[in-house]
Amino acid sequence: MTMNLSINGQSYTVADEPSSRLLLWVLRDELGLTGTKFGCGIGMCGSCTVLMDGQPTRACITPLAAAAGKAIVTLEGLATVGADGAVTLHPVQRAFEEEQVHQCGYCMTGQMLTAVALLRSNPRPSEAEIVAGMDRVLCRCGAHVRIKRAVARAAEIASQEGGL
Amino acid sequence: MSEPINTDKSKRGITRRQFLIGAGVTGVAAVAALRVAGLPYARLQIAEFLDSSGGPPIGIDAPASAWFEIMPDNTVRLFLPKVEMGQGVHTALAQAAADEMEVAWEQLEVVHAATGRGLDDPVGTSASNSVSSLYPILRQAGADMRQMLRTEGARQLARPVDDTAAELGYVFVKAEPAQRRSYGAIVAAAETLTPPEQPAPLKPPAELRYIGQPMPRVDLRAKVLGQAIFGIDVRLPGMLYGAVAHPPTVEGTLKRAAAGTAGSLPGVVQVVIDEKSGFAGVVADSREQAYAALGGLDLEWELGHLWQQAEVEEAVTAGGSGGVVIQKEGSVRGRLREGAAVEAEYRVPMAYHAHFEPMTAVADVRDGSARIYTSTQAAVSVRGDVAEALGLDAEAIVVEQAYLGAGLGHKVETKAAVEAARLSQGAGRPVHLVWSRPEDFQNSFVRPPTHHILRASLIGDGMIESWVHEQASGKVALPFLPAIAGTILGHDFGAWRGARTSYTIPNVETIAWVAELPFLTGWWRGLGLLPNTFAVECFMDEIAVAAGVDPIELRLRHLPAGLSGERLRTALLAVADRAGWNTPTPAGRARGVACCVDYGTVVANVAEVSVENGQIRVHKITAAIDPGVIINPNGVAAQVEGNVVMGLSSALLEEATVVDGVLTPANFGAYRILPLSATPEIEVVLLQGDSKPSGIGEPPIGPVAPAVANAVYALTGQRLRRLPLQLG
Repeated sequence: MTMNLSINGQSYTVADEPSSRLLLWVLRDELGLTGTKFGCGIGMCGSCTVLMDGQPTRACITPLAAAAGKAIVTLEGLATVGADGAVTLHPVQRAFEEEQVHQCGYCMTGQMLTAVALLRSNPRPSEAEIVAGMDRVLCRCGAHVRIKRAVARAAEIASQEGGL
Repeated sequence: MSEPINTDKSKRGITRRQFLIGAGVTGVAAVAALRVAGLPYARLQIAEFLDSSGGPPIGIDAPASAWFEIMPDNTVRLFLPKVEMGQGVHTALAQAAADEMEVAWEQLEVVHAATGRGLDDPVGTSASNSVSSLYPILRQAGADMRQMLRTEGARQLARPVDDTAAELGYVFVKAEPAQRRSYGAIVAAAETLTPPEQPAPLKPPAELRYIGQPMPRVDLRAKVLGQAIFGIDVRLPGMLYGAVAHPPTVEGTLKRAAAGTAGSLPGVVQVVIDEKSGFAGVVADSREQAYAALGGLDLEWELGHLWQQAEVEEAVTAGGSGGVVIQKEGSVRGRLREGAAVEAEYRVPMAYHAHFEPMTAVADVRDGSARIYTSTQAAVSVRGDVAEALGLDAEAIVVEQAYLGAGLGHKVETKAAVEAARLSQGAGRPVHLVWSRPEDFQNSFVRPPTHHILRASLIGDGMIESWVHEQASGKVALPFLPAIAGTILGHDFGAWRGARTSYTIPNVETIAWVAELPFLTGWWRGLGLLPNTFAVECFMDEIAVAAGVDPIELRLRHLPAGLSGERLRTALLAVADRAGWNTPTPAGRARGVACCVDYGTVVANVAEVSVENGQIRVHKITAAIDPGVIINPNGVAAQVEGNVVMGLSSALLEEATVVDGVLTPANFGAYRILPLSATPEIEVVLLQGDSKPSGIGEPPIGPVAPAVANAVYALTGQRLRRLPLQLG
C-alpha cells in the first residue's frame, strides 16, 4: 500500500504502487523536492543525481522500488540548518560558491553530489582523479574548469575541517 | 583570468544607429530604400545598417519605481525583464543599479519581472544585449531612486537635503552620521516619493563601488542550496500533468485525431483535441500517466517526405542564382575571373541547443484569464502566442518568468507554453508540462546547416586584393518575423551574422543564400557567428599559408578601420603574448589563431593542440576579449570560459542529421557534448578598449572552432573544412 522513503534524514510515506515509478518524479512531483533535476531520462547527463547509501545514483532511471530501505540524500539535504535557522553549507557547496562555479546551475545538483561521493571515497584526489570522477556529469554552460577547481578546493576545505 | 587592462584610447564612443527587430522598422526602412534605388541596392543597404548597429537595443521606458521595490526591512528588490539563464546578467545589472542607488550588496534581491509590470521587453533575453542595453537605463534609475530617497529622507530627518548623504541603504546627516534612516523606513513613512524633474547625476567613476568589481553572483546561494526555482520547478495547488502528441517526422502533421481509449486510461483527467490546429494532448494525475495515455489516442499522421541528410545538404548550397549581396567594396570582377589564388569550401552541420532543462511551462487558465509560469527568453512572445491560441486578450495573460536551465536561443520558442495553456484550458486546472529529451531535440528548431565558398586573390607582400564569401544557411531570424520581412530582405540577418568580413580589403563581395528546409531552424548561441567565423577565419589561415605570412601578421595587415581595428590589434597582440605565439610549442603540439568582431565585442583566441590516438586533443585555449566596459570581470571570464567549452563542443563533437525524416540522435549519449576530460586549460585575458559595455554572452563562441582547426592544420597539414573536425 505505502512505503517509507528516507530522504535527507526524514521519513516520507508514498504509495508503493506502481513500484516502477521513477524516483525522480516521486521526489519532484509527489514530494516537492525539486532540487533534483530532469535532463535526459536515460541516465546520461547526470542532472538528476541523488546519493543512495552514499552512491551517486541517477534518479531518472531508478525505479521507486530500488530506493526502499536506502538512505537518500538530495541537494536540499547537503547543507545543515541549525536550531536558530542558520544555514551551514557543506564544504562542497562552499567550494562551489567560492569558485563562483554556477552559471545556469541546472546540472550543479549532479556536480555537487557527485563531488561529495568522490571526496568521501578519495579525500585528496589528484587532478586526473577529479576529472575521471566528475567526467560523466555533463554541463552545458561550460563551467568545466571551475568545477575542477571547486572539487580540489572542497578537498582542501574538508581536510582542514577533519573530513566530510 | 587576469585583471582587466584598460586599452580605451578613444575620447568618444562609437555612435551606432540602432534598430528594432521586427517587420515594423526593417520593413519601413526597406520600402523607403526600394523607392530610391531598387531591390539589390536596398538589400545591401539594409545589411550594412544591421551589421553596423551592434545588435538590437530595447526601448524600455519605465519610471524608477517599476524597477525597484523597497521593503520595510530595507530589502531592495530589483525587478528585471531580462531572464537569468546562466549568463550572469542579473548580477551585472544589479551592480549597475545598486551602485547608483547606494544599496548594500546583501540588501539586494533580484527578481524576474512578470509581464504587465511596465517592464515588458519586446526583444527578450537575446542578442547578448541585456547588459549593454540596460546598463545606462539602470544606472539612471538607481541614481533617480537615490535622489528621491535622499530628498524624502532629509525631510523626515528635518534637515536640508544638502546636509544629508545617502550610502549603503541609509540617508544620514553628514555632520551626525548616527542620525540616519534606512531606505525601508523612509519609504514606509513617506506619503509619496517625487521623481526628480531632471535625471539625477550619475556617480563619478572614482565613487563606484560595484561596477568593475568581481561581485558574487546574486543567484548563486539559492542555486547552491537547490532552492532556486527554475521553470520546471514551479508547482501550483491542484496542479495536473500534461503530455502532447508530437509528429513522428520533421514534416509530419496531424491529419485526424480522436480520444480513442485515452480518456479511460488510469489517472487521465482530460483529453484535449483541436484538429484544426493539429493539437492532441492528455492531462492526468501524474506525468507517467499522461505519457502512457498518449498511446491510447487515435491519431492519424501525414508523415510528409522522409528527408535524408544528403537532401538537406543539397538544399543548403551556396553559389548559382538567388543569392543576395550583403557586402560590397570595390569590384571583385576581373580580379577573380582568372581564378582565385585561394579557394575553399566549408560546411557546418545542424546542432541542438541541448540545454539540460527541456522546454517546460505551467499554465493556469481559468475564467478567461491565464497565468503562465515558464523558462522563456521571450515572455512577450509567450503572452502573444498563448493569447492567439486560446482566443484571449493579451491583457488577460500574465507570464511569470523563472530561472532557465540554460536557454542558448532555444527558449524564444513558445510552443511548450502554448501547449500547457491549451491543456489547462481544457482541464480547467493548472497543468505542468515538460518535454521529454527527444521532444526537446526533435520537436523544435535546431541550429541551421551552412555552406560556405570562399575565394581570394593576393597582391605582393601578403596583401589580400579581393575576397568573395558565398554563404548559404537555413533560416535563423526569418521564421520568427512576419513573412513580409523575408520577402523584402531576401536575406536572413541572423544567418549571416559574422559572414561579412570586417577586414580591410579593397575588393569584397559577400553573398547570402537563404535555404528553404522542411523543418524549422533558428536562433542558437551567436546565430550565424559560429559557422561564419569558422569559415572566414579558417580561410584567413589558408591565405596566410598561401602568402607565406604569419597568420597573426596577416590579420594585423588587414585590420578593420577605426577603433574596432585598434581594439582588434590590441587583442591579437595580447593573445599572442599570453599564448606564447612566438615561442616554440611543446613537442607534438601546434598553435592556431582566430578572431572576430561581433556586436561591438572583440575576441581573439589561440588554441594549442596535439593528436592523440588519431583524435584531436586541445590542451589550451587562450582567449583575449574586449567587451568595452567590464562590469564584472569574473562574470565576463565565466562567459568566455563557457563559450570556449560550447565552441569546442561544436568544433569536436556536435552534429545532428536527418535520417528517414527524423532528426537524429534523439538524446544525450548518442548526441555528445564536451565532457570534462576533453576540456583544456582556458586562460582569459580581459581588455577594456571602449567606454561602454558590449555583449559577452555570444561573441566569444566565434573564434574557438577556427583556432582549433588552424592549429590542427599547423600540426598535421590536414585542412579540416567541416565541423565537427575529424582527422582523415
